[in-house]
Amino acid sequence: MSDPVGIIGVGQTPYRKRNSDKSAGELARTAILEALSDAGLEPDAIGAVIGGVAPDALSGIGDIDKAAIAMPGKPYIHVNTGGATGSSALLAAKTWIDAGRADVVLVVALERMGQAATAQSIFNTIFDPIYEKDFVLTTITMAALRATMLMNRDGFTGEHWAGIASRNFTQATRNPLVIGAKARSVADVLASPVLAWPIHLYEACPISEGACAVVVARGDIARSRNTAWIHGTGAFSDTYSMGDRMHRAEGSLIEMVPLRRAAQVAYRQAGVTDPLSQLDLLELQAPFAIIEAMAYPALGLCDIDANRSFVDKVITADAPIAINPSGGAQAANPVSATALVRIAEAALQVRGNAGDRQVSDARLALATGQGGATQFSTVCILGSDVP
Amino acid sequence: MNPDDLLILPGNWNFDYQYFAGETASRFFAELRDHQQILGRRCPSCERLLIPARSYCDACYVETGEWEQVGLSGTIEAFAIIQTQFPGLPEPPLAIGFVTLDGADSAILNFIRGIDLSDVDAAGERLFNEKRVSVEFSDNPQGRITDFHFVLD
Repeated sequence: MSDPVGIIGVGQTPYRKRNSDKSAGELARTAILEALSDAGLEPDAIGAVIGGVAPDALSGIGDIDKAAIAMPGKPYIHVNTGGATGSSALLAAKTWIDAGRADVVLVVALERMGQAATAQSIFNTIFDPIYEKDFVLTTITMAALRATMLMNRDGFTGEHWAGIASRNFTQATRNPLVIGAKARSVADVLASPVLAWPIHLYEACPISEGACAVVVARGDIARSRNTAWIHGTGAFSDTYSMGDRMHRAEGSLIEMVPLRRAAQVAYRQAGVTDPLSQLDLLELQAPFAIIEAMAYPALGLCDIDANRSFVDKVITADAPIAINPSGGAQAANPVSATALVRIAEAALQVRGNAGDRQVSDARLALATGQGGATQFSTVCILGSDVP
Repeated sequence: MNPDDLLILPGNWNFDYQYFAGETASRFFAELRDHQQILGRRCPSCERLLIPARSYCDACYVETGEWEQVGLSGTIEAFAIIQTQFPGLPEPPLAIGFVTLDGADSAILNFIRGIDLSDVDAAGERLFNEKRVSVEFSDNPQGRITDFHFVLD
């Protein structure tokens, strides 16, 4: 059996619309130095660096990692799975260590999207230019399309999306890294302008820049520290075109097939048979309320036909699990870094280091990552106990 | 440092491209332009008729088979009503929808036109209740996916 692997250090910059006081390299370095300090290691202890930035048009600098992430003299691997870049990089780091290539790997993800005058026209370029791109596809319209599909199937209403959004934004006020976090009521969300019906402005994640770094290690280095142990991981991909995912035996566009598969694999590794009772908290990479609602059945927290009643419980805080104590991706979504932020937050929780947003006695946490039009999904389960 | 003293440099990415659609999409668009037909290809493994036409089935990863024509009416699977101007993208309000054309096993995206979008909540409710649409062809076909759009039946 391979040596257990865990996260021994976490570093995050604040997440805000523009960090104009720092260059890209300075932003990444801030998170890296904090993660190394948290781990009690010097840069020479790092055996490899894995990171990524995607899409790089958001920063207007091609392969910005060369300037910002790759440390001179270290092996470097660039990962690009869109919004799942950070979690894919973490999974690659674990694999690198499991393969015996290094004992300590630094994972770092940077988002510099505050440099872009417009994010949505850049997101339009992630869609198929032959058949789909002409129809104003963006991350927002993609979420709106799925929202109407889910409303049609399960009877969700705009109040459900607003309820989830309100909860996330309000929880973010306890997270000092989300600069400008504001508690928002359901009425505030529903009164905000419609971007793409049924999605309102305050159901969409804001523009967020920032960097996140974690130090991953095995063996005595990990055993001698306060470590968030990796209990299970899963990562699956899906079809490019959304229209080709409508009538499939394994599940449609709103059934989050790759996320379901990733959860099943991770649960098996972690010995999780009843996620709702065994997991203490979730950090979901769901930039829109609708994406969060779709994740619950995919993660096995409820059956598909009980999805709406589970969402009702989440909104009234009656679900028996903590969800997005950081505020989640809805409150701050630094695209390239956001899936690593979910893992970093889960790590802080099971290490007991989460400050005002700490979930009491958090011992097992699950973090998700979603990239593209959910072509990429990851699940990572972290625990306080050595697996 | 005083925030007003921080240097912020202007920048711009503006590249031109030509996208190579491949033989299958090229024939799909030629049929659309020249014969006002919508054709797809069926996967020999899962037997789904893929519309728009694909040269291979992404799920089974096998080459698709013969060309087959689908009906020019269908059912809305998902829709959105764009209410805000995204820089560089078409002017709102616009309704878009993934539609499964009669006989097809995948959905094709296009604009849904001819709906009063002035009250967006009412328009949204209408699209939940009236899911049947038909294809309306452009008078000036260019061999592009925008050579047609949907209208409610």
